[in-house]
Amino acid sequence: MDGRVIVITSGKGGVGKTTTNANIGTALAKAGKKVVMIDTDLGLRNLDLLLGLENRIVYTIVDVVEERCKLKQALVKDKKNPNLCLLAAAQTRDKTAVTEEQLKDICEQLKKDFDFILVDCPAGIEQGFQNAVAGASEAIVVTTPEMSAVRDADRIIGLLEAKEEIKSYKLLINRVRPNLIKSNDMMSVDDVVEILSADLIGIIPEDTGIITSTNKGEPIVNDDKSPAGKAYKNVARRIMGEDVPFLNLEEDTSIVGKMKKFFSGLMGKEK
Amino acid sequence: MEQGYIENGFIVDVSNAKKTSEIIYQLSTILDLPDAHCKKVCLKLGDIDLSTSELMSIKALVESMNSEIEFVTTLSRITVESAMELGLKVSELENKVPTPEFNQDEESAQATNKELEKALDKIFGDSGLDEKTFHAEKEMKKLKAESENAAPIELTEFKTSDSIAEETQPEEETPEEVEEPEIAEPSSVATPEFSEHIVQNDEPVENEEDLKEEFAELEDFNKQLDEVNKEVMEAYDDEADDFAQLQKSLRETEKLPTLYIQRTLRSGQSITADGNIVIIGDVNPGSEIKAKGDITVWGILGGIAHAGADGNKYARIRALKMHAIQLRIADVFARRPDSINIPYIQKTETFVPEEARVKHKQIIISKLHEN
Repeated sequence: MDGRVIVITSGKGGVGKTTTNANIGTALAKAGKKVVMIDTDLGLRNLDLLLGLENRIVYTIVDVVEERCKLKQALVKDKKNPNLCLLAAAQTRDKTAVTEEQLKDICEQLKKDFDFILVDCPAGIEQGFQNAVAGASEAIVVTTPEMSAVRDADRIIGLLEAKEEIKSYKLLINRVRPNLIKSNDMMSVDDVVEILSADLIGIIPEDTGIITSTNKGEPIVNDDKSPAGKAYKNVARRIMGEDVPFLNLEEDTSIVGKMKKFFSGLMGKEK
Repeated sequence: MEQGYIENGFIVDVSNAKKTSEIIYQLSTILDLPDAHCKKVCLKLGDIDLSTSELMSIKALVESMNSEIEFVTTLSRITVESAMELGLKVSELENKVPTPEFNQDEESAQATNKELEKALDKIFGDSGLDEKTFHAEKEMKKLKAESENAAPIELTEFKTSDSIAEETQPEEETPEEVEEPEIAEPSSVATPEFSEHIVQNDEPVENEEDLKEEFAELEDFNKQLDEVNKEVMEAYDDEADDFAQLQKSLRETEKLPTLYIQRTLRSGQSITADGNIVIIGDVNPGSEIKAKGDITVWGILGGIAHAGADGNKYARIRALKMHAIQLRIADVFARRPDSINIPYIQKTETFVPEEARVKHKQIIISKLHEN
């Protein structure tokens, strides 16, 4: 088996790297793929919380690197999906505890047993970022339709392009609010794509369900009704090579929206 | 089992339970449901006689889930007395008259019953999955033990001393282990049977073969009783040995140097000490404490605590609020059950200090004042 190593990165913090990682990983595993997620955010780990696996972590990536345990021992299996594993970050250490070579080596080892290796990258462009990118051959750049996040994403894409190992990178736009885009208060998806001139892999609408799912420790893709969950599932399908159309965010499905549409239609006719 | 709803609470019918352990098992199954937290519990007991201490442990179990016992109904006078002693509201039922609570809102009660059943299924389903991961992790432990030549680490979920007897985890039980409550049961259950035999013997028995059979049965029963007694005695001997060792280890722990910390330990911070550790403050999730001796936290313990790090299985972990993500004592390991999913602990709560220690190769947590 020759797995694909995908790094999920953003530059700016708080745009949803870890959430994206947890959800895409879960969606891929649900689709029957063998997935391992590596949290490289040493000292500020969160991925285990989002998956609700905090209490199961015995060994971390630092224990693997410092040879206190074997790699297989450190993989924490998901509660529900046996296809999904987590290699957790150490909370009591900092980014210097692991080197680029060591991470590369871990990725190479995992490639043999898994279809997908998702690397959760820390915010910033320092050692943590360099480590996370080291073993990867593909990248997903997460951004939000805000100027600061787009600027940081641009910087990251520049750094990724300079890396020979990264064969391709895709853009994922998170926390999109169609209402604000409509009223010209938020950059539109097209604007972001234009500024960054990168291929799009997904548009995730803002969803309050994310907050509850994070607190519960259960990825939102397990909730079939959630719009963000659906969007993440589509992203996973696109990663697997399917051609899935993007969700139409413009359409207002609320009753008020429908009435507005109806009345504006009437007005148009009268004129 | 039957449940109904009262205002901001629910009724738990354990009247069919014949043993304290059964009550506790049924109660803990129900209280494990996320809906059952912070509610009033109306406990419906049968004709079982409960002593004050038994009832107190039930009360503690309910209170450990932030719920409280609102009301107790029982058929036993002894239970009534113990309940009065504990200051619980109680009513003694003369006959098996259904309580009025059950008649009202029968429809809604049935609906909630279904809900509860569903939730129970879900929990059992979950536990099945847990067991799988449990095995996986156990294998992990085995591997680790092989690589380090150390004794295998046992992995268990937290247990209270009350529920430990009822938990059935065959992987954990070693055959020679004898638990006290289990020993006591055969004799107490069998006694009525015994008296029945005597009564039958008083009656004129015509058939001699019947009589012989009965004698044989009686002898068998006596043999069983002897065996049980023997086991009890052996268990007592073990306990005595254990007690002596404990005393010795307590004296040794006292001699160890103690690290005294007066601040809150935050995520990412770790403290290792060759002796005991006393922390006046909270230990937040994400932090780690490792001590060769005991660990005492005067606050909320939310991180990982490892006492007796050099293999002292008599080491203890105490905290005002035990909410640790993982506990380790010597080479025994326990993790917080998935069912407890509280994002944060309110500091206004009245805390009941708890203590974790190793018993029968499992970590058990008990209220501090019960020791």
